Amino acid sequence: MKATLEVINRMQADGIIGKYAIGGAVGATFYLEPAATLDVDVFVSLPKSDSGALLTLAPLYDYLTQRGYKTDGEYVVIEGWPVQFLPPSDALGEEALAQAVETEVEGVRTWVMTAEHLVAVALQTGRAKDFSRILQFVECGVLDAGKFDLILTRHGLLAKWEQFGNRFLKGNE
Amino acid sequence: MSEWMRRILESKRKARQRLAALSFSEKLRILEKLRDRSLAIGVVREKPAKKYGQ
Repeated sequence: MKATLEVINRMQADGIIGKYAIGGAVGATFYLEPAATLDVDVFVSLPKSDSGALLTLAPLYDYLTQRGYKTDGEYVVIEGWPVQFLPPSDALGEEALAQAVETEVEGVRTWVMTAEHLVAVALQTGRAKDFSRILQFVECGVLDAGKFDLILTRHGLLAKWEQFGNRFLKGNE
Repeated sequence: MSEWMRRILESKRKARQRLAALSFSEKLRILEKLRDRSLAIGVVREKPAKKYGQ
């Protein structure tokens, strides 16, 4: 993973991507016990082009394939890890990226989404494995309730959270 | 819930807390081992099962 992050940092230094934040299961591992995953979700901002053309991931894929990294569907395999680059698709994604926490992996600087944003994104995505991860966060007690409430309110997720609570948290309080 | 089961759950909870408290680097090393195991299991599963007599 260290080597993977070094490549991503180089992409950033070379201006191929802007700010980035690790999300998904690897991001959750920053806060929770490690849970098996086969890929890395990296949320990225893409530099704006001068021509005002639509932002695409093509320059990012070109950069990596020119350096010998192979694509596998929507992933690029970087130093052994399939990495999916995800430009934020809404205000929640933008905010999660902007407020990411800086950390280090074996001396390599990197950024991870806050616990509250990871849970909000998982709630929005809403697959079974996302719900399972949310429960892990709740059980671990790592969420800042005040911050989390504000995120849910800002991004219209209060009703979804209430549904989640009724379904999975009732009777466990 | 029986006392026996309660003890098992408590022990699991403590193990999870201990793992969660590791540094990010240490946790990612564990993640890599978990991934390697998952891939190895996947390779075994993809092989067609041997039939008796073959």
